[in-house]
Amino acid sequence: MKTLLAIREREYEWVQQAFPSIHPLLLPICNKPFTEFLIDFAILAGSTEIRLLSDGPLGKVEDYCEDGSRWGIKLSYGHLQAEDSLPELLNKSRKFCTDDRIMIISGFSFIHYDKQLGYANFMSLMPAGTCASCPGGNITLAGPPETSAQELPALPLTLMPLNQIESYFRISMETLETGAARYVLPGYGNEPGCAIGRNVVISKSSEIIKPVSIGNNVQILSGAVIGPGAIIGNNVIVDKESTVKSGIILDNTYIGEHLEINGRIATGNTLIDPARGASIAMEDPHLLSGIRSADKRGSAIRKTVHLLAAAILVALQLIPFLLLFPLLKLLGRWKSGMAICHGAGHGKSFTLPTTLITGNGPLASLASSLSLDRLPLLLRIFTGQLAIIGSTPVPVTLETVVLPGEHQGYRPAVFSYAEAEEWPVNDSDAAIVERYFIVHSTPLKDISMTLKALLNRL
Amino acid sequence: MNISETQAGSITIVAITGTLDASTTKELLKSPAISNPAQSVVMDLEHLDFLDSSGLGALIGTLRKKRERSAETLISCMNDRVRRVFEITNAHRIFHIFDDTAAAVDYATQLTARI
Amino acid sequence: MNRIITLTLPGELIFARFASETAAKAALLLINSCDGGADDWKFTHAFELAVSEAFTNTVSYAQKPASPQPVTIDFIFEKQCLTVTIRDTNPPFSIETPAPDIESYPERGYGLLLMRTVMDTVTCARENGTNIISMSKQLNP
Repeated sequence: MKTLLAIREREYEWVQQAFPSIHPLLLPICNKPFTEFLIDFAILAGSTEIRLLSDGPLGKVEDYCEDGSRWGIKLSYGHLQAEDSLPELLNKSRKFCTDDRIMIISGFSFIHYDKQLGYANFMSLMPAGTCASCPGGNITLAGPPETSAQELPALPLTLMPLNQIESYFRISMETLETGAARYVLPGYGNEPGCAIGRNVVISKSSEIIKPVSIGNNVQILSGAVIGPGAIIGNNVIVDKESTVKSGIILDNTYIGEHLEINGRIATGNTLIDPARGASIAMEDPHLLSGIRSADKRGSAIRKTVHLLAAAILVALQLIPFLLLFPLLKLLGRWKSGMAICHGAGHGKSFTLPTTLITGNGPLASLASSLSLDRLPLLLRIFTGQLAIIGSTPVPVTLETVVLPGEHQGYRPAVFSYAEAEEWPVNDSDAAIVERYFIVHSTPLKDISMTLKALLNRL
Repeated sequence: MNISETQAGSITIVAITGTLDASTTKELLKSPAISNPAQSVVMDLEHLDFLDSSGLGALIGTLRKKRERSAETLISCMNDRVRRVFEITNAHRIFHIFDDTAAAVDYATQLTARI
Repeated sequence: MNRIITLTLPGELIFARFASETAAKAALLLINSCDGGADDWKFTHAFELAVSEAFTNTVSYAQKPASPQPVTIDFIFEKQCLTVTIRDTNPPFSIETPAPDIESYPERGYGLLLMRTVMDTVTCARENGTNIISMSKQLNP
């Protein structure tokens, strides 16, 4: 049997509005992307080949799921138009639909299945037609059954519409409750109801109460209480004395100190109440008091320290720069350009010089080791556009959906905390470590981190 | 680039082999079935190795001109590299895309019969 | 340790394919030079497509199409990263053009959108009367 997954953009439009940085088809349900649940079910139902069809963009889904070899199946991608009927869908994938039996899963809905049950037998015996449905979704079989059974018990699954934040929250919590007994879920855990991902640091004085699901690269700091009913995504920091219960913290989110997330979804700087669908940006003084006060108190001293450090660095780099720059320029090893980057603060952007020192000769190596390529950027500290250490400046692109300037923890800088820490640089990982240090670092710590970044380049 | 035209009832199948970019689009636009705006075509892209924005622009221009004359331009058998260009530009929203040329011909025949 | 291949081509459209095929080969070279480099068609296609777009753009906007100026392409190999720079002496242009609205069937304007989407970074600079488009992509981001 083969499976066609047909999902139209209008069916998941609400996800794009609620969580603009997440591709709707990768919306995590208990830390597992939505599409993976569909793939798992299609495999349980006996499929060896699956094709995902949509009128929306599939690039990110394709990057994640690739060709399906991870699941031992063949996964391909195609397009449909929003108004295509079922026969039109089958016609557009005629070459794919050569098997007698095709299962078509349509709509953005969640299949409440049980991995212990053998669906393959059901699917081969069921007559053609719709075998399960809910508002906005259905499972239909095309082609004759292998053998006609006299009497078939009801299909042991239900479809649940995934059409608003409330249903998303409810389905996520139910999935967490039933856990690994029904679904294949990510994470490790010695006991039921507790799944923990890779690279998770849990402070001794924090408390974990089942059921919980914790993703990869997570830090739970001292005194934090996680659970019951907490889903923590990837690249998340839950700071001191904060509580998360009956809540979802989506990927790349920082939860400040002394906060309580109860019955809410937190994503980036937004807190969503799933029952009412209302969301607030986390600038509420109660919710972000930890971050704001730390930022305000230190900002004047920090600026002065950064200016002084920049002046010393510029003075140290000036002579090597004057000697090496003309030579490298002459040899064509010094390449400079401009890039437009996001500034700190809503809607702000500025042009930054970009420098690339190429070649492997002694001059180029020396210039790189001395970080001379950062000298043009250091001068921007005096104009107040950059800090000496903070976040990597994010270039302005049309694809940047969530503007970094709107986050509390974005401070464009000459050096980044991630390079000081030699953090495995991947955009989202680096961003979260940078945000953590922006909140926790002191001006003195900034200087030591800058030195560390400089030494790392030697 | 090599272009071959085959008649399938009232529909012409235009099969393109090779590369469709700025240097080859003129040749495509000159081919009889493409230059006739009233002729519905199925573009068989099974052997199209490379498509860039100039080639895509030519396909979109063909679609527009034919739709103005109630004819159609359908796409069949595109590979992943070509599909990527369609998807980034959202061209998949305006074309009917098939994985089988015969299925595209059937669909085009139905469409033209309706008009 | 950076290694550079420099290619200078006549600024004529018929050389666009040569430029893009060379870009694909450069990308493949980087893949093969990395440990455990697997066949990554998206990486090679990204360079093939982006260079085709940039070269075509450069040549199409040439001031004097009758006497085309040469176009210089640098392929800069770094660890896990390939950067391509394309230099020409045509009038300056902006890379911050909005994406076209497909619903109105525009036939032009997709080149920059494609370049920006398939590459990690695309920057444009003007230096001593020369446009420099620089595009780079990490192999395993």
